[in-house]
Amino acid sequence: MKYLIATCAVALVVALWLWRGRAQTDGLTLTIWSHEADEPAKVALREYVARQLEKAHPALRVKITWYEIDGLSTALKTALPAGQGPDVFYIQSDQTDYITNGYVAPLDDLIDWSNIYDWARQAWLIDGKTWAVPQEVYTDELYYNKRLLAQLGFTLPADAQFTQDEFFELVEKARAAGITPIAQGAGDRDFPGAYILTQALLRKLGPEDYGKLFDGTLSFSDPRVADVFRWVKSLVDAGAYPKNFMTMKLAEAHYYFYQRPGAVMLPMGSWYTGRAFVPVDDGGQPPDFPLGIMQFPAMNGGACNECKTRAVGASFAINAASRHKELAAEYLNRMSTPEIGKRWIETVYLQSAVKTDVSSIGGSYGAYYKELMDRQRGAKYFPGDPSDFIHGQCLDTFTQVMNTSFPGGLLSVERAIELMNQGCYTAGDRGAGSAMNP
Amino acid sequence: MATTTVAKQLEVRSANEAPWETLFLFLGPALLIYVAFTLYPVWKTFYNSLYVMTPPHNVQKYVGLGNFVSLLTQDQIFRQAVRNTAVFSVVGTLADVGGGLLLALCLFAKVPLARLWRVVWFTPVLISYVVVGIIWVWIYDYDWGVLNTVLRGIGLGSLAHSWLGDPSTALWAVLLAQVWKWTGFNMIVFLAALYALPADVLGAAELDHCGWTAKLVHIILPMMRPTVVTLLVLSFIGKMMIFDVVWIMTHGGPLWSTETVSTYVYKRAFDWNTFDLGYPSAIAVVWFILILGFVALMTRLLSQRGKLELY
Repeated sequence: MKYLIATCAVALVVALWLWRGRAQTDGLTLTIWSHEADEPAKVALREYVARQLEKAHPALRVKITWYEIDGLSTALKTALPAGQGPDVFYIQSDQTDYITNGYVAPLDDLIDWSNIYDWARQAWLIDGKTWAVPQEVYTDELYYNKRLLAQLGFTLPADAQFTQDEFFELVEKARAAGITPIAQGAGDRDFPGAYILTQALLRKLGPEDYGKLFDGTLSFSDPRVADVFRWVKSLVDAGAYPKNFMTMKLAEAHYYFYQRPGAVMLPMGSWYTGRAFVPVDDGGQPPDFPLGIMQFPAMNGGACNECKTRAVGASFAINAASRHKELAAEYLNRMSTPEIGKRWIETVYLQSAVKTDVSSIGGSYGAYYKELMDRQRGAKYFPGDPSDFIHGQCLDTFTQVMNTSFPGGLLSVERAIELMNQGCYTAGDRGAGSAMNP
Repeated sequence: MATTTVAKQLEVRSANEAPWETLFLFLGPALLIYVAFTLYPVWKTFYNSLYVMTPPHNVQKYVGLGNFVSLLTQDQIFRQAVRNTAVFSVVGTLADVGGGLLLALCLFAKVPLARLWRVVWFTPVLISYVVVGIIWVWIYDYDWGVLNTVLRGIGLGSLAHSWLGDPSTALWAVLLAQVWKWTGFNMIVFLAALYALPADVLGAAELDHCGWTAKLVHIILPMMRPTVVTLLVLSFIGKMMIFDVVWIMTHGGPLWSTETVSTYVYKRAFDWNTFDLGYPSAIAVVWFILILGFVALMTRLLSQRGKLELY
């Protein structure tokens, strides 16, 4: 028996030695963990850049592991503290906890920032350092069906922005005509149900107070906030949203808007195109769909009716524990060239954080990009949606109240405000009562 | 003489005993895996529950029982999650064990097309939770879901409802999906137990003109008691840890009305955008102890001979 054990031990040592030797002779592997496994155009582009890097370094292998966001977050939250994370990983603007916990390397001196829009870089500026390379940027937009709008007897003003009273009238008339005013669902995301409410709050309060509202220093009981909640409540009561709002998923809302049963408007990030500008058989919008973009409505007495939300989407960070930071940075630099930026827009149909001349984008979607640029011209920007920058109980309450239950018609204005104060307002009296008794 | 016998016995025993090297060789890998993937995570969870982890660099700060005090005295969402999980565990267990027993009795009584029903009723067990969740979300959809379509079709359109969007119906809607999935499993186990019953006892009962109900109450159920206890305990434990179907269907909403302890732990650990595993670990510890206590209690109350019949 002793011989058997000794033989096993020797075999194990030899196997380990051989494996180690093989790993050494195989050369270097750069590991990347990325979200968006189900978006073929993004997968193709990132893999393309990986192959380019391998060509430049024949001994290098770039291995991208594809995840969906929940799986990626769970994997990173266990791998990074254990020192087992990849060299490069996908990061979203709501994941600053990776940075504040020291798992991300600062990129100021590693990346060629000349190709990246300065404001997009600013989005990842924390404590004076830049922590991630943005690949995708977006603004929150209000898409609409031009044909249905005309059919209801409305003409978009020259500034493409209805007043809040005109917007309410539009919702009422659409519902009276048996058309769903706003295609929206909050079934699988923590933000889309809140678009109308948050954009109205941004315009009413202006960027500074809007920021305070979500950093816990301005009460949701503020009269201006209550006004906005009351207006949105009137929209909800007028039937602005579909009956299956609470369970409709993001992708289903797109289909609802431009296919069946159809709706007048769809509030969405400008990454709308990622789902809409694909073949109809893959769930895209029909080629002749009369797509338009209007501004979110102007609030009565609004402090900043020209305000919009602008944010970075898909971004990549380098693991602070990576031993191949230079190579990781080279991958990110190769992903940020004007050529890749143009390829991104032409194949992924999303705005790029790389400086790209969209006027050079031709084809059937050229007119769309022109209209998008028109809507973004002269806007004053606020960085990110609340779900990007709030955390913990405030985020959970935002998801349950502002994203789902309030626009879903389950809560009164007073109760919604009370719950939001309990979840987010840290500067004053949170009010009595439990967050659990709607 | 006696000394020689004892010496011989010791010699034989020693020859039969495996040397420690052999024991280590065969038990070692399994023990290693058990320690690495069960004991260590459990110990680490208990350990983490006494700390909070704060940025930067996940600095651990010892808080003693602070997490437990906050959890048990201040956390309203946890209380809601406990209530929901209790409803799931009690109602769900009774429904799918009771349902499984009824279906098994139907098949045992040789209802027409019994073989077909057996396959039909067992099929949901073979479907993954993700698929089950998606199927039922579609069934409950307000506009195009089968349930509301049928209601409208038979003139009961006023009953059409956003089943998962209303806090008063969401928990029951998810519970139904869960029961649909697991009833077939209980049915098969009960059916196996029914066919294993001694035919002479059942035959004797029939000779004594014992009716179906009397036979069920006085003979079948008492003889199947170990099976019933086992299924009740297993089902109860499973539902105390319910996660997948809730996550797929509602994410714990609306307004925390379907939040369970497991979804809440996951949210606190991975969805709240913090790296603090202390508080979620405290929830896990409390729940672990509760489950352990309940299982011990149930086993004691329900078990006939103080032990479970394990499959």
